[in-house]
Amino acid sequence: MSFISLEFVLLLLLCFTLYHFVSDKGRKFVLLAASGVFIGYFNLVFLVMALFASFFTYGAAILVEQAHEKKRGSRMIYWSSISCLILCWIGFRYANQLTGESSFIFPLGMSFYTFQAIGYLTEVYWDEEKAERHPIDFLLYMLLFMKFLSGPIERSTDLLPQLRRLTPASYSMMTYGLKLIVVGLVKKLIIADHIGPYIDGVFNSMHAASGVQLFMACLLYPIELYADFSGYTDMAIGTGMLFGLKLSPNFAHPFAAQTTAEFWRRWHISLSSWVRDYLFLPLSSFTRRWGQWGMAASLLVTFIALGIWHGAGWTFAIYGFIQGLVIVWELRTEKIRNKVRKHIGKRLFSTLSVIRTYLIFAVSLVFFKAQSVSDAFYFLRNISFQTHASWKEINIGMSDHICIVAGSALLLILLYDFFMSKSDLLLRFEKQPAVFRWTVYYLIVLAVFVYGKFGTENFIYLQF
Amino acid sequence: METTELLEILNGIFRKVLKRDDITLTEGTTAHDVNGWDSLTNMILISEIENKFGIRFSFREIVKLKNVGDLCHTIKNKIK
Repeated sequence: MSFISLEFVLLLLLCFTLYHFVSDKGRKFVLLAASGVFIGYFNLVFLVMALFASFFTYGAAILVEQAHEKKRGSRMIYWSSISCLILCWIGFRYANQLTGESSFIFPLGMSFYTFQAIGYLTEVYWDEEKAERHPIDFLLYMLLFMKFLSGPIERSTDLLPQLRRLTPASYSMMTYGLKLIVVGLVKKLIIADHIGPYIDGVFNSMHAASGVQLFMACLLYPIELYADFSGYTDMAIGTGMLFGLKLSPNFAHPFAAQTTAEFWRRWHISLSSWVRDYLFLPLSSFTRRWGQWGMAASLLVTFIALGIWHGAGWTFAIYGFIQGLVIVWELRTEKIRNKVRKHIGKRLFSTLSVIRTYLIFAVSLVFFKAQSVSDAFYFLRNISFQTHASWKEINIGMSDHICIVAGSALLLILLYDFFMSKSDLLLRFEKQPAVFRWTVYYLIVLAVFVYGKFGTENFIYLQF
Repeated sequence: METTELLEILNGIFRKVLKRDDITLTEGTTAHDVNGWDSLTNMILISEIENKFGIRFSFREIVKLKNVGDLCHTIKNKIK
């Protein structure tokens, strides 16, 4: 069941209505039942797997805590539980490669709830979090439908306290959530779904594409990915707000980042902060005696792991490796960059840095998107300004209508992101006169229906 | 060692590692309050502090450090 489907709208309406009419205790069961229907609707096996992982983690955390209190065996229980979760995830992730068959389906949401489970177990093991004793609360933490498929990967310290005391959403929270959902729809339906098929077309037939088409597809893919994934996240966070829940932000104006290190503090924040806290921190602690080399090794391992999280294959490993390598390079060249900044001026340096960071990310995404490493290298080798016939190829097959609609929407979204990074634009908007607000609401909804591309229900990050 | 004396030494380490002369730490200072003190520089700072005082933090101690006050407290316990 996709967020953009009639089934989901019906489930959401039913769940929302029941949630706000039942007693305090009943709310948990309404959300849990809706989550079960949402997951089971895809495939009952997905629901069984998620339930199994949830009960396993629930029990393991209690055992870790009890062993910790007795000061005996917590390490062994923790490491064996983590190993089980990781092996199970790797088994499903690589099942097709390992068996040579293509009949295995990777359970939806598994990468996200497995990482959430590992994070939770680690917090309990580190004594930073108490093991949850109420199975319903914990099941909700793992299975909550709005974040089940593609995150945000929630921290137990953030979400569990909210789930323990579910309250009806306030009017302002509901309206804020609805606005976020609309922003997500604009990103997904007017930008990502319009430009996506043309970018796919270039990647799928890269050997026939001209240099300038490869160049444009490379430049546009980060925008498609951002519009698709942050659109999904906005809808997930907005839906959470309809139930009074505050989910974690996943994007913070990422294309304004001046360095790749900063970019990863703004892009897929719930995953990057997860690998920072549960992988990079232990690794860099272990390797700190080796100074800069230890730091570099930890960074590379962390980012390769982040790449591999996305899927089996060398392309994802190289995608992660590039990120790690660039951050190491940025750390090593900080002095030189500071000198350049003083020499050319802060404003020009910032602009160039933003462009450089975007281009590096765009190039690394060629590995993320390509089917094989050789395809990715072919793609990058053949990027140029050469055309087969005319400069019209620069639009990679998109009609002028699509270019104008998606381009205008992108400009608006970038402006929206910019102002949101300064102050909460949606809250400021609420203070405007009612006539103005409702005119804008109607115009945006109308634009979504008129210019939105319906019919594509999939989100890119569903495959992960 | 007094906390003020310890803070002075830590100021020096932070200024050297983060290459900023305007850093003045207090017990309540957290990573959010200091420009450049992030996950990438944190372990370099920890390593420098360990070398300076000839001590070694366990991973669990590092995880538990929430602000400079915690850091001072842990250092004091180790150099007693």
